[in-house]
Amino acid sequence: MEKSFKITTSEGLHARPATLLVSSVSPFTASVELLYNNKSVNLKSIMGVMAQAIPVGALVTISANGADAEELISKVTEVIISQGLGEEC
Amino acid sequence: MFSNLFKKRKLQIFAPVNGEVLSLDKVPDPVFSEKMMGDGVAIMPDEGNIHAPIEGTVILMPDTKHAIGIRSKDGTEILIHIGLETVSLKGNGFNTHVTMGDSIAIGQLLIEVDWTYLKEHAESIITPIVITNSSDRVIQFENIKQGFAGETVLMTVSPLSRINGQ
Repeated sequence: MEKSFKITTSEGLHARPATLLVSSVSPFTASVELLYNNKSVNLKSIMGVMAQAIPVGALVTISANGADAEELISKVTEVIISQGLGEEC
Repeated sequence: MFSNLFKKRKLQIFAPVNGEVLSLDKVPDPVFSEKMMGDGVAIMPDEGNIHAPIEGTVILMPDTKHAIGIRSKDGTEILIHIGLETVSLKGNGFNTHVTMGDSIAIGQLLIEVDWTYLKEHAESIITPIVITNSSDRVIQFENIKQGFAGETVLMTVSPLSRINGQ
């Protein structure tokens, strides 16, 4: 399953927001990808997410695959909203 | 051949900059101090520039030039984050000498830093050196107080499975 977000955190997905995202999905067994600009990276990799250099205003899609994919998506959505990283779209 | 491979599986991480070596929990930012990003150490820089802590490839060089990511041949990924909240400096105070994809050697100059500018404009110049994929690795920390760029070994990284057999 997948969900799209618009990034609203002012400096984009630099170290802190990337770390918050990665640590929110790491406990799940499902595989999870972050798609931005037609390029997909493992959302469990801090370096992978940071290397995407996702700026404020960017549209990203998070897609998860596996037994706990649904819980993962709901957790990552909660973190994105509560930490002010982005909004659902 | 295999014994050679095994010998090389311990990766020494050298100091990227001259300064006082501190444990990560001394960094006043929970992303680093709570090891959310991974395990590692920090250096409070005295002077000098940022040099390569390992041999590897540059896998992260943001436009803001305030951090650099390097991957070693064994897959270990190291992030050097120069100062805190330095993303907001938008590249000012930094001058990069490498780009994404470059192969680098231990001690090679990576980023020139204007510490005077950073001290004035950043929250702190403390520089965390983090193994971002440390969860499947074992890190052995060296008990040292002062690091010299490209000369002092800060820590040694080995894969989790190797330690079990020792």
